[in-house]
Amino acid sequence: MAEKVLVAVAVGVTNDMNKKVKDTITKTNKKINLKASLSLAASALLGTSVVTAPVSHAKDADEWQFDSAFLVYSEVDRVSATEAIIAGTKTFDNDEVLSLKLTVDALTGASANGAIAQPMAQTFTRPSGNGQYVTPAGETPLDDTFKDTRVQLNAQWAQPLSDNITGSVGGHLSKEYDYLSLGVNGNLAYDFNRNNSTISIGLSYFQDTFTPEGGIPKPLSSMLIGDSSAPDWDAEFAKTRIGDSDDKSTADILVGFTQVINRRMITAFNYSYSMVDGYLTDPFKVISVINFDGIAQDYIYENRPDSRVKQSTFMQTKYHFDESLLNTVADISYRYMWDDWDITSHTIDTRFTIPVGRASYIEPHIRFYQQGAADFYQPYIIDDQKSVDFVSADYRIGEMTAVTVGAKYGVVLNGGNELSFRIEYYRQMPTDAGFVDPNGLNGLDKYPVVEAVIAQVSYSF
Amino acid sequence: MKNKRTVELNQKKDGYCVNFTAMASPCEVLIQTQDKNLAEQVALCVSAEVWRIEDKYSRYDRRSICSQINSGGGKQVAIDEETYLLLNFSEQCYQLSDGLFDITSGVLRQVWSFDSLSGECQHFPSATEINKLIRLVDWNKVTYDQHSIILPKNMELDFGGIGKEYAVDRCILLVKVLTDKPLLVNLGGDLAVTGPRTNNQPWQVAIEHPDCDALGQPQDMIVALKHGALATSGDARRYLIKQGVRYGHVLNAKTGWPIIHAPRSITTVAPQCIQAGILATLALLQGEQAEQFLTEQEITFWARR
Repeated sequence: MAEKVLVAVAVGVTNDMNKKVKDTITKTNKKINLKASLSLAASALLGTSVVTAPVSHAKDADEWQFDSAFLVYSEVDRVSATEAIIAGTKTFDNDEVLSLKLTVDALTGASANGAIAQPMAQTFTRPSGNGQYVTPAGETPLDDTFKDTRVQLNAQWAQPLSDNITGSVGGHLSKEYDYLSLGVNGNLAYDFNRNNSTISIGLSYFQDTFTPEGGIPKPLSSMLIGDSSAPDWDAEFAKTRIGDSDDKSTADILVGFTQVINRRMITAFNYSYSMVDGYLTDPFKVISVINFDGIAQDYIYENRPDSRVKQSTFMQTKYHFDESLLNTVADISYRYMWDDWDITSHTIDTRFTIPVGRASYIEPHIRFYQQGAADFYQPYIIDDQKSVDFVSADYRIGEMTAVTVGAKYGVVLNGGNELSFRIEYYRQMPTDAGFVDPNGLNGLDKYPVVEAVIAQVSYSF
Repeated sequence: MKNKRTVELNQKKDGYCVNFTAMASPCEVLIQTQDKNLAEQVALCVSAEVWRIEDKYSRYDRRSICSQINSGGGKQVAIDEETYLLLNFSEQCYQLSDGLFDITSGVLRQVWSFDSLSGECQHFPSATEINKLIRLVDWNKVTYDQHSIILPKNMELDFGGIGKEYAVDRCILLVKVLTDKPLLVNLGGDLAVTGPRTNNQPWQVAIEHPDCDALGQPQDMIVALKHGALATSGDARRYLIKQGVRYGHVLNAKTGWPIIHAPRSITTVAPQCIQAGILATLALLQGEQAEQFLTEQEITFWARR
């Protein structure tokens, strides 16, 4: 009896499969489902269960897939960074994927300290309190003690949880001389509509600790300037400090939706909500306090709110053109970000991947970025406005426009490994914040342009 | 057809190698074991299964079920479960290929004959000859159910497009019952493995690389296969050239003419050999768009033009 029932069930399954194959053929673009349909047909023929996964194991590469990159970022007269990345991905038998990534950066050079250029030379105390540096007349003050090495490690584990749900968890560790960042994240993705649609939700949490050399400056206190070898210097300097370290936490929620429109087009929409709490001030930044003649009287340490809520929406479209447009893949995205510091930004990023011959491609890239200023941003303070709560002259939270233009050339080598070169030019143009400047500032560059060159070599093997 | 059927068993460094000839192809089985008894059992089991399928579905063998169906003269012919399942599979391939793949197209071979030595087509058929035969190619005219088939008079079935790959998959199923030792079955280049070799090492399979090295030399490429199967469709040697156009030996079942601008051969991988074989054949049938077709399907493949 039991046997008969089993046979009946088996026949039922086969009929269902045949039906599904036929439905697949008639209802949808059959090209997309050919592999799945054949898999069903073959299992009906051989009386086996449907096998789809192992195809991916027939790779002509080793089990680990590695990507490596070496990047140089160099700002004209300012910071330069070199970065080396090695990332490995391993796919296991049941489609679990382990990804590990190690990044090492070395930063050197000078960074704007926030003070404004003056018609005379200016003297500043180093953030550590050990010694001074002098900025010549007419130049934007730069702190040239900027030097750091960062080691970053990311690990991510992804696996299918059911036929159409994929889960992943990951960890992040980043260590610099004066900074430690630890993070965890989790993500769930649900595929539906014959895998043409995916909804995902991700959560992440970071805990950062900042231990700057010289400690955390007391917000809005005056920078101590004088003879750092004087006997009472250390005691006086300590009065401008409120502690050795401080920390901040960041919690992010990301909701995403990806939709395959047709075999040439795919779109994605994301929304993210991010809450940052804790020490958000930059301990190395000051702001000039000037008199009505425009002459600096004092430099006070900046102060930012201890929380920030950031939201952003992102949309992206990739389109694969046919031969008439050289099989180009266009990748265009737009991001709108806004936060409760009143910063808003628009980012438009476009890339065109154009195949050249059978094994190489060229990829022009243009990025346009426009940002509004934080409500507490000021390029300087006039003497009698000193009673501010929050203030920063950091050009990075001022109003600005930035453009990146570049290109990448990639070539697939004989063994299937990919080598690529990227070179980009970046130009950041701060907007005049519209202050009626005192006469003394005439002819000085209050909103200096930042230019940088980015060069990268990547190799996947 | 009746070569003497013999099976050779040779001991290799890390196991045994079985060699025999079937379906007009050299066949081999590699098994990672030092157990000679087991190797002999596998050799017998695989060769018997391949010869069984050859005998049953060869259109050259008068006693085969294929010949019985082809000589049915429009009358009902009884079939068994296995044949029914193969017909079902062929039906699905016909649907998936929009009629390009049709197991009734074998009759076209009467006019398209490729010399077995030079590979050239000796006789270029006329349009009249082809038009006469193309009326006999139409899977839709075949009716079948679980127990019988009716093939209209003068039409012919040809299981050649799926038989070898089917045999590979059948052998893998059978040997898995005998042993869990790592094993590879290769029937004239269509092959499958039971799983990775010992210590989770992949099987190294040499295939002809479609690309050339820096000096323009074609290279063999080693494919690492841990699971699943690999099949090649097309034959670089069999072709014909007329008025400067190179015709491959794959025929379009709708027109009766060879597909032009197709790659000479395509190799694909899939969980089962029969899937890999059909994917490669369906791709060849796309002609110039063969590679694009496979790329869009996200199928791993190697094409030779």
